[in-house]
Amino acid sequence: MDRPVIRKLALATGLAVAPMGASAHQLIVFASVDCEAVTVEAKFSNGNAVQEAEVRVFDGQNSLLTTLPINTDGTVSLPLESVDHATGLLIEVDTGSHDNYWIVTPDDIATGCNS
Amino acid sequence: MKRHFITASLAGLLCTTTPALAHYGMIIPSDPMISQEDGRSVSLTMSFSHPFELAGMTLDRPVSFSVTHEGETTDLLGDLNDATVMDEQGYTLDFPIDRPGTYIFAMEPQPYWEPAEDAFIIHYTKTYLTAYGDDEGWDTELGLKTEIVPLSKPFGLWEHNVFQGIVKMDGEPVPYAEVEVEFFNEDGSATVPDELMITQTVKADADGVFTYAPPSDGWWGFAALNTADYTLPQDGEDKAVELGAVIWVHFEEWTGQ
Repeated sequence: MDRPVIRKLALATGLAVAPMGASAHQLIVFASVDCEAVTVEAKFSNGNAVQEAEVRVFDGQNSLLTTLPINTDGTVSLPLESVDHATGLLIEVDTGSHDNYWIVTPDDIATGCNS
Repeated sequence: MKRHFITASLAGLLCTTTPALAHYGMIIPSDPMISQEDGRSVSLTMSFSHPFELAGMTLDRPVSFSVTHEGETTDLLGDLNDATVMDEQGYTLDFPIDRPGTYIFAMEPQPYWEPAEDAFIIHYTKTYLTAYGDDEGWDTELGLKTEIVPLSKPFGLWEHNVFQGIVKMDGEPVPYAEVEVEFFNEDGSATVPDELMITQTVKADADGVFTYAPPSDGWWGFAALNTADYTLPQDGEDKAVELGAVIWVHFEEWTGQ
C-alpha cells in the first residue's frame, strides 16, 4: 500500500491505521490548531528545528491544497480560511532527505476551536 | 494422635503464612508510546499493589499527583477519579496529550502503615511516556525526595534490553542502593519456580547506578528502598519510614526475526 492510500485511509478511518515508519535521525512533525490557523512545527530528534523544508498540505481526499516553505525556526502558520478543512488536513514536511507528516482531524479542529 | 496434631498445625501454618511480597506504588498508562494514530489522550491507572501477585492494597488519596512536560509541572491531584484496582482503592485519570514530548507522571502517596514491617512505607512513584514521536525529556530528573533517574530511555526498550538508572536521595546518588524488581503480571499468566523469583534484587554500584535486563516484555517496576532519616508516630511510638523510589518501565516484545 503506498503512502497516499494510507493517508486517505487514515483520515477516513479516524487515524486507525499503523504509523508510518520513521527513519533514524527522525524528523518530528506536529501541528496544533485553533480557530484561526494551523501551526506546523518540525524538528529533528536531536531537538534542532528544521531550517529548510517544503510543507505540503493535503485534504482528506489526498488532494494537494497548497505548498508552503517552512520558516527558519521550523514553524509555519496556515490560516484555516485559506484551505478547505472539512475533511481534515494532512500536513507533510519534506526536507529533501527526511519527511514525515501530521494529520489534523476534523475533531482536532473542533476541539482546538473550542478550547 | 500426636502426629496428626502436628500435621494439622503445620497445615494451618502453611495456610495462614503469606510470603513477604514487595509493595509497589504503580502508575500504569494505557500506552507508554502515544502516536498520533493512538488518539489524543492516555488513560492512567494508579494503585498500591503487589504487582506480580495482583494483590492490591488501599491507596489513599495521594499527597500529590502531577505531570511534568517540557520542564513544566502541573498538579493533577484534583483530576484523579476513584477506582477499584486489584480489588482495592485506586485511581484512574484520562489525560489529554496536547503536544509531543515526554510526559512524566509522578505520585507521592500518604504514608502507608505496614504492621508486618513495623514501619511506614512511602513510595515516590513515577512513569515516563512519550508522545507523537518526540522523546525529548526522557532523562528528566524531577527532584523528588528519592527517585530513580533513568540512564536508559524509560520507554521504547526491547525485552531483554538492559535498563539502567541512578538511585538518588535528596538529589544525591545512593551508593550500593538495593533495587527490587518485579513484573506486573497483568493477566496473571506468569508463574515462578520459587517465590524468591517474584521479586528480584540488584544492587547499585558505588555511584548509585544499577542495571537490570528483564526476561520478557511488559511492565516492570523498579523500587529502590531506603530508610528515611526521620520517623513517624504510630500508637504512641516513633516508627521507621521506608522511602521507595519507584519507576515503571515498559519493555516491548521483540518483533524481529
